[in-house]
Amino acid sequence: MKIFRTFSPFFFPVVALFLLFLFSSGHVFADAFEQLRKDAAEIRSIQAKFTQNKSMKILAKPLVSEGRFYYAAPDSLRWEYLKPLKSVIITHKGKTKRYFFSGGKFIEDQTGGVQAMSIVLNEISAWMSGKFNQNPSFQADLKETENMEITLTPTGKNMTGMIENIFITLSKKDKAVKTVKIVENENSVTKIDFTGTIINKAIPEEIFQDVQ
Amino acid sequence: MKIKAVLILSLLVFSCQSLPKIIDAPRAGDTTCPFPFLKERQRLIHAIEIRLPGNITSTVIGITLADPVSREVSCAIMTAEGMVLFEAEENSGLLTVNRALPPFNSENFSRKMIDDIKLMFFAPKGKIYQSGLLTEGETVCRWLEDDGKWIDVSASREKDISVKLYTAEGAIKRHITFISARDKDNIYRRVELHAEERTNYSLVMTLIEAQSFGN
Repeated sequence: MKIFRTFSPFFFPVVALFLLFLFSSGHVFADAFEQLRKDAAEIRSIQAKFTQNKSMKILAKPLVSEGRFYYAAPDSLRWEYLKPLKSVIITHKGKTKRYFFSGGKFIEDQTGGVQAMSIVLNEISAWMSGKFNQNPSFQADLKETENMEITLTPTGKNMTGMIENIFITLSKKDKAVKTVKIVENENSVTKIDFTGTIINKAIPEEIFQDVQ
Repeated sequence: MKIKAVLILSLLVFSCQSLPKIIDAPRAGDTTCPFPFLKERQRLIHAIEIRLPGNITSTVIGITLADPVSREVSCAIMTAEGMVLFEAEENSGLLTVNRALPPFNSENFSRKMIDDIKLMFFAPKGKIYQSGLLTEGETVCRWLEDDGKWIDVSASREKDISVKLYTAEGAIKRHITFISARDKDNIYRRVELHAEERTNYSLVMTLIEAQSFGN
């Protein structure tokens, strides 16, 4: 079943970008890539809450989702939606699994998309070790206003018709990601606001093992 | 002319042979049909659990905007992560697909999805052919559609309402159940669809949000 292979190119760039820019520390203008690679080595864990607003022509008002995000170096991730649809994606020790909540319990998603996730996560691991400038998928442009705004534009045809742009807003103060906005087309925009970001606080390993 | 009429009648009788038998036609004036369909324009957002052969399951979010008067439909499928996989609309019988990522990009998929939505939310366009009781005691109304297909709409004692679509030959193609429909504040709170296709599939839909517009 290939249905859900399609969402991974969308989802994982968002996670990766969140990670990347979260631990950027103010040298984006000069030599952003080199600085990010250095800063990446300092990050042991990240956890945050997020609120996702999905706007579409068919929706009168944005569909709001809420969830939690966890990362632990070198390659453990948990991206969890709490509502309206409970679902969890976990990658840990080289294995990636997706779960959804049904009948009072979490059920593992058996679609082929999970395998595709593993491939993309390898790329994310490369980004997390500062090698993100080796990924030719996006062109990055930076604009400084009251925040730092980064625009990512897909360079290859592999995202044609899927993503037009990704906009990331960083807090000038601590360089933490405040929002990620993904524009699929003029009628479909996803905005994710991150709050309560905590860096380098120990995360129990169960978070990446136990779906409950 | 008489021969033609006899042939058509014979065809109808023959084609009904594998349909569930309606055993007890109610008295005249007692023919209220179960009506699980939209009465006014609504926007419905469902969590949809997709079940495929081989124990393969996954979930998506489905958005439907449907008007029972004009029979216009707009719909979208997206992942929990917000990625829109499919978006289409049908106005005046014209199907327009605005976005369809593989493997949702076949014309066949678009047509069948819109047809499933219309079967679920719109009253049949055909004429009531028969009404009465099924063998298990459900009240039922049987529609004959213009294309020769049959639609049974039945209500069980357990308060579920079912819509079943049959081919002209009486083979079942779709079975939609509105779970405990008569107990819920919104009949679409939990809906299950089972499709009989080359690859069978089931959808278990749980309502996230509903918005009525009136007409």
